[in-house]
Amino acid sequence: MTRILGPWETFLLVVLVLIYAANAWISPEFLTLQNQVNLFQLSIEKVTIALVMAFVIINAEIDLSVGSMMGLSACAFATLVGEAGVPAALACLLCLGVGLAGGFLNGWFVARMGLPSLVVTLATLIGFRGVARILLEDRSIGSFPDWFAALGQRGLIGPIPLGLLSFVLLFVLLYVVLERGGFGRKTYVIGVSRDVAEFAGLDTARHKILIFMASGLVAAYAGLLFAARVGAVRGDVGQGFELDIITMVLLGGVSIFGGSGTLTGVGLAILIVLSLRNGMSLMNVTGHIQTGVVGLLLIASVLIPRLGTRLARRSPA
Amino acid sequence: MTRLSPGTLRILALLLVLVLVGAFFASQIDNYLNARLFNRISSSVAIVALIACGQTLVILTRNIDLSLGAIVGFSAYATGALVTTAPDLHPILLALGSLAIGAGFGLVNGLLVAYAGVPSIIVTLAAMAIFRSALVEFSGAQSITTDDLPQWLVDFPNLPLFTVAGLQFRAAFVAAVVIVVLVHLALTRLRPARALYAVGSNPDAAEMAGIDARRTVLAAFVAAGALAGLAGLFFLARFGNITVVAGLGFELKSIAAAVLGGVSINGGSGSVIGALIGAVLVDLIENSLVRWDVVSEFWREAVLGLLILSAVTADALLMRRLTRLRIRREKAAAPATKEATP
Amino acid sequence: MAVPVLALRDVSKRFGATQALSGMTLELFPGEVHAVVGENGAGKSTMIKVMTGVHEPTSGTVEVDGQTVTLSGPRDARSRGISAIYQEPMVFPDLDVAENIFIAATDLGLVQRKGLLRERAAQLIARIGMTLDPDRVASGLTLAEQQAVEIARALSQDVRVLIMDEPTASLSAHEAGRLRRIARTLASEGVAVVYISHRLEEIFDIAHRVTVIRDGRHISTRPIAEVTPQGMIAEMVGREVGNYFRKDASHATPEVLLSVRGLSQEDAFEGVSFDIHRGEVLCMAGLIGARRTDVALSLFGIHPATGGSIAWKGREVRVGSPREAMALGLAYVSEDRRKLGLAMPLSIRSNVTLATLGKVLTRWGLVREGRERSVTNRYRERLNIRMADADTPVGKLSGGNQQKVMLAKWLETEPQLLIFDEPTRGIDVGAKAEVHDLIRDFVRGGGAALVISSDLPEVLALGDRILVMREGRQMGILAHEEATQEAIMRLATGQEAAAA
Repeated sequence: MTRILGPWETFLLVVLVLIYAANAWISPEFLTLQNQVNLFQLSIEKVTIALVMAFVIINAEIDLSVGSMMGLSACAFATLVGEAGVPAALACLLCLGVGLAGGFLNGWFVARMGLPSLVVTLATLIGFRGVARILLEDRSIGSFPDWFAALGQRGLIGPIPLGLLSFVLLFVLLYVVLERGGFGRKTYVIGVSRDVAEFAGLDTARHKILIFMASGLVAAYAGLLFAARVGAVRGDVGQGFELDIITMVLLGGVSIFGGSGTLTGVGLAILIVLSLRNGMSLMNVTGHIQTGVVGLLLIASVLIPRLGTRLARRSPA
Repeated sequence: MTRLSPGTLRILALLLVLVLVGAFFASQIDNYLNARLFNRISSSVAIVALIACGQTLVILTRNIDLSLGAIVGFSAYATGALVTTAPDLHPILLALGSLAIGAGFGLVNGLLVAYAGVPSIIVTLAAMAIFRSALVEFSGAQSITTDDLPQWLVDFPNLPLFTVAGLQFRAAFVAAVVIVVLVHLALTRLRPARALYAVGSNPDAAEMAGIDARRTVLAAFVAAGALAGLAGLFFLARFGNITVVAGLGFELKSIAAAVLGGVSINGGSGSVIGALIGAVLVDLIENSLVRWDVVSEFWREAVLGLLILSAVTADALLMRRLTRLRIRREKAAAPATKEATP
Repeated sequence: MAVPVLALRDVSKRFGATQALSGMTLELFPGEVHAVVGENGAGKSTMIKVMTGVHEPTSGTVEVDGQTVTLSGPRDARSRGISAIYQEPMVFPDLDVAENIFIAATDLGLVQRKGLLRERAAQLIARIGMTLDPDRVASGLTLAEQQAVEIARALSQDVRVLIMDEPTASLSAHEAGRLRRIARTLASEGVAVVYISHRLEEIFDIAHRVTVIRDGRHISTRPIAEVTPQGMIAEMVGREVGNYFRKDASHATPEVLLSVRGLSQEDAFEGVSFDIHRGEVLCMAGLIGARRTDVALSLFGIHPATGGSIAWKGREVRVGSPREAMALGLAYVSEDRRKLGLAMPLSIRSNVTLATLGKVLTRWGLVREGRERSVTNRYRERLNIRMADADTPVGKLSGGNQQKVMLAKWLETEPQLLIFDEPTRGIDVGAKAEVHDLIRDFVRGGGAALVISSDLPEVLALGDRILVMREGRQMGILAHEEATQEAIMRLATGQEAAAA
């Protein structure tokens, strides 16, 4: 926890530098500020949620419902603003509230009822999406106030839009909380062993609920970002995002069993996935193939360290 | 004292829920319980039940397979391409082909999980994307349409085999149920299959007891892949039009059916019959909500989510109660036996 | 003698920088109970793993019936008749007893025949003198029953070498006695039994020969008749030790810290009543199944009691969670370091401050690492923790040092009553004495201690008073002066109801 770069983070950094070099070599446009902003902007919802997902997985849980919560938030916003005529600012707050409530629901069933988070959030993945569909059915809503759309589409500071800005701020905040803060320490301990934490007097149920609420909140925020950025909302917003998000976190070196991983690793993994996809787009590789390559990378990310230790064990001391 | 195992109790409870749900909608919707409802559900269940059955095998070993939907899609496209280029291919050979395609993908998953030691959620999460991109590459983003297929294949899902009380039992559904029952018999009666339960129940103990845990896990993934491959053929026959997104979402739907059917996500307990009933329940609710006037059809996912959540909660509470009862009963019985020994 | 059924010849095993075994030699003959003793970390478990094929030796050979073999894994070892049972039995909770026994059998055909399985299981269970319904699901079995299932499984595979690794560590005296009889019966039938135990009296009861190992090396192998306990301990630690269980005078004061009256918990225990005075060590003795840990867990608020009352410094309190217990000044040092005590992959310092994280946080909730290190270093000196630095993962320390880190975690909460659950289980003789000194220091400094221990010499050495429990009931409290091993055992086994 004290070193900035562990062996895995160093490895990710090397991979990232290689991808950046290759991309810059293939296309001179890659390194332009505008392209770098676009690179984030296209997946800003996923990468934002990934930062909190890191907490969820380090805490030895999983949240499959984030994509659906994102969709629910976006649909609720669209319904409130487009059909009920609620002021957009108020609607935003209500949607964030929905995110907190949904996260609480997940957390309560996991932490207080003791159900596996895989099952609970699979149920809410279906359920939250269901509520989103009840709200919008098969309609598409897209008439949002100009200031709202501008937040999602235009630069807030220079060319940097709100989404990227909030991503960077959230990263810094969560980095400090996870690596330096007491909350982060508890997240690791509970992830290693909930019993050890419970016996040491930590309120593990409360901690888990808080993390799920943070996950719901950020997913709801991502839904709003999506509504602002794309300008139109349908019932399927965010569908399937959960798996991409989890991939980024795992690639970042967070153990699926909890208790280990760093936000630095997750940040590097996000950059790798984004630049890899961007580079492949520049080479006209389609989206499904891009996802496949990221999938290969994910498996490699687990196999490489394992092979490394095996080789180290074989070599005579 | 009843000798019903928790597993049997679960199945009975599930059947009861099935009947209650059916009765509820029968009271709400005119002319609800008819042959059309049965046909709709049975032709959908034919596909989902196979995948859920495979998913159950994997979950029993304390693993999970998120790539089954992609395997269904690939198999649907590949068998479609096969039968388009060779329309005279014998149906049995085509079925074997679909099984082989699925088993091949399952083998990749299984090797990585069992022999390379990569957690299954990571392997199959990645495999889901990789298999899907293999499909894109293989198909060249072309689609298969019903017109390309031989008539016998298009007719297969609707081919009535026999009729009971006015309900048509069609070929695909009967085939799927027969396969699930066969898998169930194998799981309960064949000794090598019992290893699946042992490995999921306590992996360390399995290794120490001399069970080849790796081979068992590999076998589960291969079998699940094969079943998903066959489901791909059924998918092709039913829908005819196959694009690169075919089978998307089946991975989660199959987990939902298995969990609803009482399969423990922690491995070691559950049955494929439960998963089959879970799949039926899911489809019953979906098909019923479409015809229920009180809410729109868009309620079906919300209801399904709620149903899964209540099912696992009820199950957890019930199991806790049962455990307490057992402890109390043993305690009541204990003094007599303990005093007997000096 | 004849050819050994299993032999290690000059076996060495290293893991990275750690030399776990060097030049280990061991011969096992049919029909003998061969005890292996050594301190924790002496290499016993590595040796077992080499014998069962889990580890391949770095150098040296393993011989079966005089032939050099390479064991490819537990399965290979089993097929050669080498089985091991562990302190934590390896059963399948979801399967029934009969299936548990025969799950890996290869001679029962493809199709499961329930009746045959049940019948054969009953035979094997009868052979080891147990009564157990083959249809019972394993999740409801007691530890002793689970071990019986494991032994039956080994017997079903024509076991020739049975390795028992601390098999009685968690058993009651009665159960342990039965297990030893089973071991002896198997030996008389020609099985070579390897018996590993920390309990010296067991070894003198059962073993034909004793091998002492230390630091991964073979020290001696002798017939039991040529061994004395003092000599054995000396060889284990490599130096002569005096009587390492000392008892100084009681420091108990008249002030009652904790007063418990009629405490009970559904399904666990009832009618537990005692006082603990400041400066006192109250020991809780009893066999496994006496529910002593359940009493401790209810005092600490993990499973709150369902009946009776708890008074803290004369004021009645309700302890509903560990947080409430800690707020009063209670601490519970668990018996299970791995599962309940320490976050093994995390650093020593994060474990030391685990229960008192608030003390090292800034106003903004950030961890002051410098303060954390200095706290850790303070305990390193006070408790004599042998460690490289405060950032080392605690899992890399030896058992005794882990125990001290756990103790440091609780001392840092500045408790007034420390509850120790089996404080010296599985740690070596030297560390044991140190832990005893720490407990005595703690009460001398004005605290009080409740020590749960199954180790009778320890109970006698530490306890100012000794509370004995049996099957969830308090059988009596003995003053130190009237307590003997025999007196405690009479209460613990229910042969005598106490006057108190």
